[in-house]
Amino acid sequence: MASISGADVKHVVVACEAGMGSSVMVAKMLAKQLKDNGVVVSHSPVNQLAETQHDVVLCHRGLSARAKQAVPNSPVIVFDMFLGDLRIAQLVDEIKRGATISDE
Amino acid sequence: MANFIPAGTGGHTGWRAAVQKLGGNLAGMVIPNIGAFIAWGLLTALFIPTGWLPNEQLAAMVGPMIINLLPILIGYTGGRLVHGQRGAVIGAVATVGVIVGTSIPMFLGAMIIGPLAAWVLKRIDAVLDPITPPGFEMLIGNFSLGIAGLLMAILGFLGIGPTVNALSDVLGAGVQALIDTGLLPLASILVEPAKILFLNNAINHGVLAPIGVVQAEEVGKSIMFMLETNPGPGLGILVAFWLAGNSVLRGSAPGAIVIHFLGGIHEIYFPYVLLRPVLVLAAIAGGATGVATFLVTGVGLVATPSPGSIFAYLAVTPPGNHFGVLLGILLSATVSFLVAWVILKATKSGDDDLAAAQAKSQAMKTGGAE
Repeated sequence: MASISGADVKHVVVACEAGMGSSVMVAKMLAKQLKDNGVVVSHSPVNQLAETQHDVVLCHRGLSARAKQAVPNSPVIVFDMFLGDLRIAQLVDEIKRGATISDE
Repeated sequence: MANFIPAGTGGHTGWRAAVQKLGGNLAGMVIPNIGAFIAWGLLTALFIPTGWLPNEQLAAMVGPMIINLLPILIGYTGGRLVHGQRGAVIGAVATVGVIVGTSIPMFLGAMIIGPLAAWVLKRIDAVLDPITPPGFEMLIGNFSLGIAGLLMAILGFLGIGPTVNALSDVLGAGVQALIDTGLLPLASILVEPAKILFLNNAINHGVLAPIGVVQAEEVGKSIMFMLETNPGPGLGILVAFWLAGNSVLRGSAPGAIVIHFLGGIHEIYFPYVLLRPVLVLAAIAGGATGVATFLVTGVGLVATPSPGSIFAYLAVTPPGNHFGVLLGILLSATVSFLVAWVILKATKSGDDDLAAAQAKSQAMKTGGAE
């Protein structure tokens, strides 16, 4: 388990298999919601997460084990739906409020 | 949230992550190069004798691109994944050894020799780096890569090329047997569930496309490109959710349909199936229907449609194949819709958890969708 204060989050990386499809889509939607908070949202293949700059990693449940393997010390937030996911909304809220973000 | 997906949290820790990782590495060598595949696919669709604008001189590019350029790009990218730029260079050098002396596109060979050569160089660098005197870094770096690359190319030529050639013959014969006996639609029983588990890229780019490319090079098109990429089954499931899902999922379904069918990001419908794993039956039925239709109408694609969008499909469909391709997509969407609709109707009451539904709709209001 890893955690970070939402106030310290400057860089979120969304991971998917190839880092070119679904992660780009989620990253774009997230960037829109976080653009007023000065948070950079980028995307990456899950295999190359270790080479990315990030405070928080976001990925689908189906890839969470590999994401955790790649970056065991980073908070890895797991979501289920690509559209309208509760956990993503919660992450946005935690960053905006500066609350503690934890991957349980 | 943890129990939102019934498949549970245990399933993706062991073998699934391992298989995904292997597949991810295979796909990671191919996906960054899809643009080059598309250039080749369009070139083929346009200028080969059976293409839209037959042109013998321009068609001369088709062979060198598929035999030389694409495998070298794969070997280059595979090497880069293992050992950065130096790995990429030695991967490309070694891939040439695999290519020479065969007449088939050496994708599988490139996927083996590229990362292998980079791994060998990584070992060599680990030994040489600490003992290299200052000022000799460039000399030693260049010659260690050059000599190791030469040796790996020879290994590829003598060992890996012939081995993969034989393997390709066996795979090709196996696939041909499935086509000839009409059993190919059964492949959907494996392909559709694997997609839902996020093995979609591994299956398409790692397994099916390399076989398809060999066929496409021989006869100008292949059905292998269509087994995993058909957007029909996912479309049917999403439409069923739109019309018969619970109120929350109904709301996000139209957006998902656009992203899936037009944008080609299939991942978007996997969570809907994971919500009710029994829906995989709808995906299988739709997928098998599609493959059967493609088989009966004798259609194929000239290159892999990536992403699996209807637009990509139309772009790589050769002349005269549009009817069968579109019919297959339509029928597979229809069948998967009907099966999914029946399943959703039959299981509706039990799953419509009001609390979860409210939480979800709250989530959609506070963010995510738009």
